Amino acid sequence: MEQFFLHIAWLIPCYPLIGVILVIPWSPGLIRRTGPRPSGYISTVMTLLAFLHGLIALKATWNQPAQELFIPWLHAADLDLTIPVELSSITITATLVVTGINLLSQVYAIGYMEMDWGWARFYSLLAFFEGGMCALALSNSLFFSYMILEILTLGTYLLVGFWFNQSLVVTGARDAFLTKRVGDLFLLMGVIALYPLAKTWNFTELAEWAKTAHIDPTVAALLGLALIAGPMGKCAQFPLHLWLDEAMEGPVPSTVLRNAVVVGTGAWVLIKLQPIIALSPFAESVAIFIGTATAIGAAMVAIAQIDVKRTLSYLVSAYMGLIFVAAGIGESYPALLLLLTYAVAMGLLVMSIGAVVWNSITQDVTQLGGLWSKRPASGLSYLVGAAGLVAIPPLGGFWALEELGDHLSRTIPWLLGVLLLVNALASFSLTRVFGLVFGGKAKQMTERSPEVHWPIAFPMLVLMGFTLHVPIMLWQWQLIPNWATINTTVAGGLILSSAIGCGIGAIIYLNNNWTKPISFVPKAIQDFFAYDFYTQQIYRVTIVFVVGLISQIIYWADRYIVDGAVNLVGIATVFSGQSLKYNVSGQTQFYALTILFGIALFGILLSWPFLSHLSLIIGG
Amino acid sequence: MELQLQYFLLLAAALFCIGIYGLITSRNAVRVLMSIELLLNAVNLNLMGFSNFVDPQDIKGQVFTTFVIAVAAAEAAVGLAIVLAIYRNRDTVDMEQFNLLKW
Repeated sequence: MEQFFLHIAWLIPCYPLIGVILVIPWSPGLIRRTGPRPSGYISTVMTLLAFLHGLIALKATWNQPAQELFIPWLHAADLDLTIPVELSSITITATLVVTGINLLSQVYAIGYMEMDWGWARFYSLLAFFEGGMCALALSNSLFFSYMILEILTLGTYLLVGFWFNQSLVVTGARDAFLTKRVGDLFLLMGVIALYPLAKTWNFTELAEWAKTAHIDPTVAALLGLALIAGPMGKCAQFPLHLWLDEAMEGPVPSTVLRNAVVVGTGAWVLIKLQPIIALSPFAESVAIFIGTATAIGAAMVAIAQIDVKRTLSYLVSAYMGLIFVAAGIGESYPALLLLLTYAVAMGLLVMSIGAVVWNSITQDVTQLGGLWSKRPASGLSYLVGAAGLVAIPPLGGFWALEELGDHLSRTIPWLLGVLLLVNALASFSLTRVFGLVFGGKAKQMTERSPEVHWPIAFPMLVLMGFTLHVPIMLWQWQLIPNWATINTTVAGGLILSSAIGCGIGAIIYLNNNWTKPISFVPKAIQDFFAYDFYTQQIYRVTIVFVVGLISQIIYWADRYIVDGAVNLVGIATVFSGQSLKYNVSGQTQFYALTILFGIALFGILLSWPFLSHLSLIIGG
Repeated sequence: MELQLQYFLLLAAALFCIGIYGLITSRNAVRVLMSIELLLNAVNLNLMGFSNFVDPQDIKGQVFTTFVIAVAAAEAAVGLAIVLAIYRNRDTVDMEQFNLLKW
């Protein structure tokens, strides 16, 4: 029975996709009388089905070797596009994380989107994402992973642009689409360049090939860079990170999903591509560099934000940077572990923040405050989420970071310093947000702030429970090392860095005597981080400016040179017709002259050979 | 100086050219008809010249000349009639006024 469910595990992405179609009829233009709520319920039930299916399948695949299913798709000439589905405990667990967080965020959205009419569109897009991510988790082919990533890029565009009557939403959705698209296109170059080299897109076979492959270092480096560029856009890494900031304009439940899992899709592909990137040490160091720069930079930017959603979105970039570092040093196990613990904790954090925003209206941390006594559930969820994200034992984030730090200390020790720094910065940032939102005195916006109703609170608390249970589950499954075998230096360093970060944050932000808003001594530096290194302006003067200029030049050339050349032919024809008609003078005598000329010319032509003789005679 | 065929031919050609010149440049319709007569006479000169120098036995050219003169007379009669008909309608014999087909 369980084996049967495992064999039809390819159905897991299909439940939400069926849900997409089922919920659309409740769009306001189709079913006009019932209101949009049934779409939310249907979608949640479909997600629940997918989750349960995954649970049963996980039981069947636990401690079993990975199985592979092949679904024929297209066979053209010597190109065989069969969809390989990998059924292993890792992929099924990934679908469980996706469907689980999705289930919770859909229940959350039932509460959050109460005053909204667009449920059909919202839930169909959430389910669309869910189906796409489950398919990505199960797909064992680079080609189909790329396809799904592209489809999810479109999904991001539509979901960020959910409330499209807001102008910032429209620009945010535009940037999210274009930025991720650019990364995806580079990935496509890599995908296509890989085929002639490896003759396969199957991840398992690619890993086999990479073990023995001997390719030119330049080719390997370019290939690795292209394969990094896709996840770089997806995971909101520097310099393709602005979209995640602007994607915070979307509804909170979708933000839960995006911050927790969608950005993980890029990391998932990157981890699977790790053997190929390992072919080129240069590409590996680029991945490490990007990850390091993003982790440190984004963590510092997160500290300087005043929008509470954006304080979390930059931490997303920072943690994805850590996963880049993990993939760069060739360690996929800590990367996957970090992806799991991060997804749960970040989902919880966003849910808690969303619960605060839902009935405190403002997202400005300087307008919030003093919610701890009024909002215990949200506050506790936030604390647990924060503790699960940074290295605070015994929660999940600690184990993942410890695992990563252990590998770093053995391979590239200075990266351990980066890890500690990022952990301290993230701790500080999370404590700052906690202090500003939950600590201090109540501000005008938070004077009366009741705790949220059950559909928001319930998934938040369930996820809190799950975050608390992650280490127990990991321990139960023997995925984390014993206390005895742990690297105490790394563990101690991590705990110390968390303590320093949290401590400084608490001293500054939980201390009512410290006047807020805090201003950094050189205001320019504070602004530099608050405006995200002025990335928007940098985009505008570099790539946007260049592309805009070139397109204007091309437009001009097309409008005046290409069109002009063709129009010139037409104008010349018209003009010659207009002017040549004056040959028809109406004068009989002119016609006679023309005839005479014609005859004379014809005669000269006919007698040309004789005339040349004549000239000889005259000349001679 | 002995008269040769070439002189007749050159004279006829010169006459023909004068006729053409008159035909194309004259503004008076009757002068155009007169120029046509000059052309015909140039042709007649050619016929007579060849007839005398090349074919003195049968003198077929002279017969042709007679026909040409006859036909030229008929043609002049018809031409003058046409000019008269146009003059009655348009009150002018200026060739440059007869440009109904202009453009």
